[in-house]
Amino acid sequence: MNNTQKFFSILAVFIYSAITIIPIVFAIDRLILVSGFNPILWIQSLDQNYVSQNSITFTFVQAFFSTILTVLIGFPVAWVLGRYSWPFKAFLRSILTLPFVIPAIIAAMGFLTITGPYGLDVRTDESTWWWTLIFSHAWFNIALIIRFCEPVLSTLNPNFEEQLLLLPNGITFFSRLKNLWIPILTPSIAAASCMTFVFSFTSFALVKWITVRDKTLESTMAEVSSSAGIQGYMESSSDIVLGASFIQFLVLLASLWLMSFLQQRRQTKWQQASELFVQNKNAKGWFVLVPAIFFVQLPIISVILGSFRVRDVSENSISFKWSTEGWYEAFQGSYSFPPLSEALFNSLIYSFGTLIIALPLGYILASTIHQLEENNSNLSRILEIYTMLPFALSAAMIGLGVMLGIIKLNPSAAYDFRFLPVLAHVIITVPFVVRIILPALRSFDLSYDENAKVLGMSNFSRFFKIKLPLMKGSILVATVFTLAMSLGEFGASFIVARNSEWITLPLLIDSLRGKPMKDPLTVPSSNAVATVLMLITMILFLIVEKFRNTKDRGMF
Amino acid sequence: MLSCLNLSKKYGKILFNELNINLEKGEILAIIGPSGCGKTTLLRCICGLEELDSGKILLNGDDITKIPAEERGIGLLFQKPVLYPHLTVSGNLSLASFNNHDKALVEVGLPNFEDRDVDTLSGGEGQRVALARALLANPNVLLLDEPFSALDLDMSIKLINDVRALLKDRSCPAILVTHNIEEAKLFSDRMIDLSKI
Amino acid sequence: MNFPHFSKLMVACLILFPSFTGCISEDKSDNELVILTYDVNALSDSMISKFENSTGLEVKMIKVEDSGSILSYLIQNKGVGNVDLAIGLDNTYLPTAIELDLLEEVSIVQDSISGRNSSSQMPALGPYDGNLATPFDMGFICLNYDSSIVDGLNFTIPTSLWNLTEPEWKGKVALPSPITSSPGRGFMLATLDYFDWQNNDDDFSNWWTAMKDNDAIITSGWSEAYETHYTGGYGEYTEGYIGDAHITVSYCHSPGVESWYNGNWTKSASLDIDKTAFFQVEYASAIKGGNSENAEKFIEYLISSEVNSQMPVENLMYSVLEGQNLPEENGYRFNSIIPSNPAVISNVDIGKNMEIWLEEWNEAMIKSE
Repeated sequence: MNNTQKFFSILAVFIYSAITIIPIVFAIDRLILVSGFNPILWIQSLDQNYVSQNSITFTFVQAFFSTILTVLIGFPVAWVLGRYSWPFKAFLRSILTLPFVIPAIIAAMGFLTITGPYGLDVRTDESTWWWTLIFSHAWFNIALIIRFCEPVLSTLNPNFEEQLLLLPNGITFFSRLKNLWIPILTPSIAAASCMTFVFSFTSFALVKWITVRDKTLESTMAEVSSSAGIQGYMESSSDIVLGASFIQFLVLLASLWLMSFLQQRRQTKWQQASELFVQNKNAKGWFVLVPAIFFVQLPIISVILGSFRVRDVSENSISFKWSTEGWYEAFQGSYSFPPLSEALFNSLIYSFGTLIIALPLGYILASTIHQLEENNSNLSRILEIYTMLPFALSAAMIGLGVMLGIIKLNPSAAYDFRFLPVLAHVIITVPFVVRIILPALRSFDLSYDENAKVLGMSNFSRFFKIKLPLMKGSILVATVFTLAMSLGEFGASFIVARNSEWITLPLLIDSLRGKPMKDPLTVPSSNAVATVLMLITMILFLIVEKFRNTKDRGMF
Repeated sequence: MLSCLNLSKKYGKILFNELNINLEKGEILAIIGPSGCGKTTLLRCICGLEELDSGKILLNGDDITKIPAEERGIGLLFQKPVLYPHLTVSGNLSLASFNNHDKALVEVGLPNFEDRDVDTLSGGEGQRVALARALLANPNVLLLDEPFSALDLDMSIKLINDVRALLKDRSCPAILVTHNIEEAKLFSDRMIDLSKI
Repeated sequence: MNFPHFSKLMVACLILFPSFTGCISEDKSDNELVILTYDVNALSDSMISKFENSTGLEVKMIKVEDSGSILSYLIQNKGVGNVDLAIGLDNTYLPTAIELDLLEEVSIVQDSISGRNSSSQMPALGPYDGNLATPFDMGFICLNYDSSIVDGLNFTIPTSLWNLTEPEWKGKVALPSPITSSPGRGFMLATLDYFDWQNNDDDFSNWWTAMKDNDAIITSGWSEAYETHYTGGYGEYTEGYIGDAHITVSYCHSPGVESWYNGNWTKSASLDIDKTAFFQVEYASAIKGGNSENAEKFIEYLISSEVNSQMPVENLMYSVLEGQNLPEENGYRFNSIIPSNPAVISNVDIGKNMEIWLEEWNEAMIKSE
């Protein structure tokens, strides 16, 4: 590293620490002030408080089963999608992986509609809640399995399989599974499962809306967080938040470490081939793809339909009519709810603000990690985990941290500093940017750069003429992902966006839902807002698909 | 031993049409022709990795046209050796047979290579391991898809001689496809020029 | 590594940062009113802009989840002076706020508010009549039941809280948790009086333990209990609906609200069991360190008859003004009851004992059989 690079690396780490770590330290400091430093007592408090009782077991068990179901559903899809050629393959892939970027609150609404009284009508039986949750987690996370496994399958040089077919120990399907597919796919499946476990473990909106009575550590924390960190007042809340955070932190740290280990294992020496050159047709594959598409699209479609379906109640009989009244109400705004346009405007401003900070910051951090990998792999590993720390923090914790941090800086900023939500979104998105850019940097063929050096190109022109064009796919993916994450972010915004003028689309959905459902337009109008948010996300996502570089084997 | 009757295949253009090949026991045949004329596809059809448009393949009198590749007992050496990077040399050989690795490696001139990682092998060494593996599988016929083309001249001549000797030793019939007529002359008993059929 | 491109972006960031902090350091101006509240339906946009137009003040709102979050926010920001007015503390939280010295006295003429001079059934000034907080809406919290099922399927209508611990009601009662919900708190306070907490050490705990053992559904908030679990209300029209509880905690005028919305029809009814209803009053309070002059103006506006008489319609709560009642339209008033013998718990006791009671409640709920 030369001095300029060092300067920017250090600056980036400094800014990242200032934005991310300091608020969290404030929050933790405040909680410890109330509860004292005793992790064992924190964890014990989870079982000694009725609000949080059983949440540890529930969190682990549901995350475990969610992961298994996700693999069971996701793997066959990844297999047929990756192994065979399909018309509009990129489009199919985007449809099947779309749920991952759909805000959880929308997913929850979709699943409630499906299982609710006007859908399958299975919600009255409590045992179905569990399965609804597990399925909704699978719905959310099959994208990870597809993302991790499908490129491995679709770009693997087919000679590997063909050669094996011609050898005695590759004759049966099981021998090929044992000798080829398991070794080649295990790191990918393990990494995807690991991520799935993490996301299910920290699930909030889906748990809050679907299982109702059972709570994850995350949803428990969100429930008591407003009274946490106050000396002499409901101190048990602080114990619970600390206990839950501590367990989450340990579990997530372990997962992140495992992920980073598996990620490196995935950079194996398997020759790749062009995706176009690899595949055959397989009509039977539609038997996997069609149900999968149906499964993936159902909650989305039910939200869209729900925005046009208005309830008509008279004398204990319920009927529905199709109308655009919900949309009208959403666009008009009513009561204390601002119109959709205002929330949309805020959401866009926040997401672009987030992008301006998170993208360069994440890029430089990723670059620094990559550079360090060559010289100082320990420091690089530490920095990599450091940049992933926000993954290990719940959104509620991040929101709380930003809030307490800003209040220390200037109290009136809590409602005056319009860009406060941006800070929270930066914390949440920087790790994603790093995760997307880093594999791209790793797979960037250094000889391109070396060759350009030999040709006498300056740093500047090498960056613009060589690196940027070759990296543009990943940078674009990171851009779009940052925008989408910020647009859909709910947990932290919910705590941070205290000024009612700062309302974003997800917050508007929540407050519309929060108003008494007695009003027949409550559900349609919130579904209308959800539809708008979903459409924007989908458009962004389709753009990403077009530019995604499958060889990066990036995580997202 | 191996009879190919009226083989036809087209991929947009016609690659081969009504092609007949007859291979006797122990015979080594070379098929020559320029790049892109369908040599590789022909081999892939013979070993079953691809389907013919029409024609019949008989092995020892049995019609194997519809039998899947993995059940035909025909071996193939790819242009670039396909070695599995998660396995050692010995592990790669195990895919063919669990025994006689040392003997097979000595035969191809790589004694004591059992525990090497495959990514430490040179091009020639890699091809030799692939050959050892192919022979360990005791194929009825061995197909060779320009396996010498990526090697330098000295290396390829040595390998050609070694492979020919090993095949003759076992009376294993083989078909080599190549665009290099010298290579074909050196290796085979008989030649067919695909572009002239 | 190639940074020149990003050096530009970094410069952009470095320029942006001070401008951010510029925003941060802006001082609160005198013609600004910062209101801390939860989603109180009474504070509609039109009502706020009317206030802004007539006073020239600019209203800014900080919204938190519920009444409890208002208190937490105030404690967390004590002495900071970033809030002028809190709207929505109720009498279960007010004593704590007073005890912690968070509120500022205002000089509001409270003559028009019920309970000062008359012997009203619902004296808004009953729980608290000082100058630290001004009531703006109220209502009784009590048990509601689904008459179509309870009457229709021959359940015995409970006459004592102990009835609810019997097998007949196993898993059929939804109660919001007092830890996270203010109606839940109100109901817990009522049960304290019901079980005579001052003279009886055990019944309160025993009843809650018995309820837990009888599979009572404890929810985090009112809406989950009422909309998701309760069969008697409009919840059944909503998507998250489960419908496994025939009894829940809501307001004594909730059946009235149901009827008002449904065109004079409801199957929900209030249970009038002695000492199980809690009289809840919600307050507006000026905050210490804030601009209490501006806060005062808004409080006056909030209890003006123009705004406050609309409470039953806008906010689905009783107006606190003397002589106001629920509208008769569509059976709103007819289906709302005023409990004959509500629970009585003094503000002083609430302030002194709330934490202890919540702990006792928690103990009762985690106790195994």
